[in-house]
Amino acid sequence: MEVVEIAIKSIIIGALVGIGVGAGAARMFHAPKVQGMGAFRTLGELNACAGDAASHFSFGLGFFFNAWASSVGAGAFTQDVDHRIIPNWAASVLMRKGKRPEDTLHDPKKMGIVGAIIGMIVVAFLNLTASAIPESLQAIAVKVLVPAANLLINPVMPVIFWLAALDAGKRSGFWGTVFGGAAHLIMGNAVPGVVLGILIGKGVDDSGWNRVTKTLITSVILLFVLSAFFRGFDIRLLESMYLETPGWLKDLHKLLGLEVK
Amino acid sequence: MSSQTARVSDQNVTETVKEIDMSKNFWYADWSFPIFVALLSSGIFAGTHMYYVYKIGAFNDVAIVAMLEAGIQGAGYGAAAAFGASFLFARILEGSLVGILDIGGSLQTGIGIGVPAILLASGITAPLDNFILALLTGALLGLIVGYVIIGIRKFTVNQSNSTFGADIMMGAGNASGRFLGPLIVISAASASIPIGIGSIIGAAVFYIWKKPVAGGAILGAMILGAIFPISLE
Repeated sequence: MEVVEIAIKSIIIGALVGIGVGAGAARMFHAPKVQGMGAFRTLGELNACAGDAASHFSFGLGFFFNAWASSVGAGAFTQDVDHRIIPNWAASVLMRKGKRPEDTLHDPKKMGIVGAIIGMIVVAFLNLTASAIPESLQAIAVKVLVPAANLLINPVMPVIFWLAALDAGKRSGFWGTVFGGAAHLIMGNAVPGVVLGILIGKGVDDSGWNRVTKTLITSVILLFVLSAFFRGFDIRLLESMYLETPGWLKDLHKLLGLEVK
Repeated sequence: MSSQTARVSDQNVTETVKEIDMSKNFWYADWSFPIFVALLSSGIFAGTHMYYVYKIGAFNDVAIVAMLEAGIQGAGYGAAAAFGASFLFARILEGSLVGILDIGGSLQTGIGIGVPAILLASGITAPLDNFILALLTGALLGLIVGYVIIGIRKFTVNQSNSTFGADIMMGAGNASGRFLGPLIVISAASASIPIGIGSIIGAAVFYIWKKPVAGGAILGAMILGAIFPISLE
C-alpha cells in the first residue's frame, strides 16, 4: 500500500515542481525584463547545449545518474532534479525535429507543461526505485557521497567564493572577508556571508552608497545579529572569553524559548 | 519547403503575440511570478514531507539533507535552520535584483530544509507529517517569497543599474561544482580499495565520454561496492 501512496504523492509533487521549474527556466531567457527563476548555471548550461535535443538529453542524463545514486543512497534527490534534469529534458522533448529554441525553450507555457510531465516521471521513478534497492548500496553512498559533499560545502565552496570575492575588487573582498568570517563563526558556513559581501561590494561599486545599498547592508547586519542571538552565539562568546554571563541575558534567551546551559 | 514557410509564419505569429502581451500574458507577467514560485515551493516542501515520512524524496543535495537528518536524529536543528534561512534571505535579495531567483538556495534549501528545521525545532510536526498540509504550507511560503521579490523589484531595479555581482557568484558557483568529481573519487578511495578503483574507472570513462566526472565516479563506486560490499560501521 505504501508503494501506491508514494506513487500518487510523487506524481503530484513532480507535476507541481515540473511546471514551476519549466516555466521559471523559460522566463529566465527574458530576464531581467521578466522575473525568472532557476539559476545562473542552469541558464548557462541550457545555452551551452545550443538548442540541440540530443545534447540537452545527455546532459540531463549525466545528472540523472547522479541524482539516482544519491536518492538510492541517502534519499536526497540532489538539487540537479530541479536545476538540470527537468529543464534539460523538457527542452530536449520540445526541440526534437530541430525546432528553434526561441519557440520552445524560451516559451514558459510549453516548458511548463512539458516540465510537469517530465517532473511526474522523474520524481515517481526516483522515489519508487530508490525504495526498492538494497541497503548494501546505501552504505556506499553514505561512505562515499556524504564525505565528498561535506568537503564541498566546507571548506571548498567557502574558499572558492571567498577567492572570487577577493578577485572582484577591494569592496567585495573587504565585505566578503568580514561577512564570510562572521558567517562561519555564527552559522558554521562562510558561503552565505561571502555572497552577501559580494552583493554589497559590487552594489556599492556600481551605484554607490544609495538607499538600496544602505538598506541592503542594514538588513544583512540585522540578519547576522539575529542569527547570532538565536544560535546562542552571544553566550558562547562570553563563555570563551571566561566572562560571567549576565542573568538578564540568560533570562532573555529563556523568554524566547531557547535553551541556555 | 512548404513546412519551412509554415514554421516561419508560425514564428512571426508567436513573436508578435509575445511583443504585445509580455507584461499582461499570464506566462510572462510579474503578477504571475508568485504563482509559479508557489507551485514549485509547494512541490519542494512536499518533497521534504516525503523525506520526513519515507526517508526518500528531498529536493536537495546529500550534505544539506544530512543537516536536517542530524536534527531529526536529535543533534539539534540549528545548523539546518540557520543555513537555510540565511540562504533564503540572500537569494531573495539577489533574485529580485538580478531578475533570476536561484531556486537552489531560496526554495530547495531555504523553504525545503531551513523552514522545516525551524518548524521541527519549535515542535511543529503537522506540516511535515501530513501531505496536504505540506503542499499548502509550501504554496503559502512560495506566494510570500514571490510577492516579496516582485515588491523588491518594483522599488530597486528601476532605480539602480547594478547587477550586484551576479556574474561573480555565477562563476564561483560553476567553479565549485567542478570540485565534486575529484572529491568523490578521493572519498571513494578512502572508503575501500575496490570502491576506490571503481570510482577511478568510472570517472575516467565519463571524462572520455565528455560526461560529468562526478556521475561516473559515483556509478563506478556503486558497481564495485555492490560486488564488494562495505558495512556502515
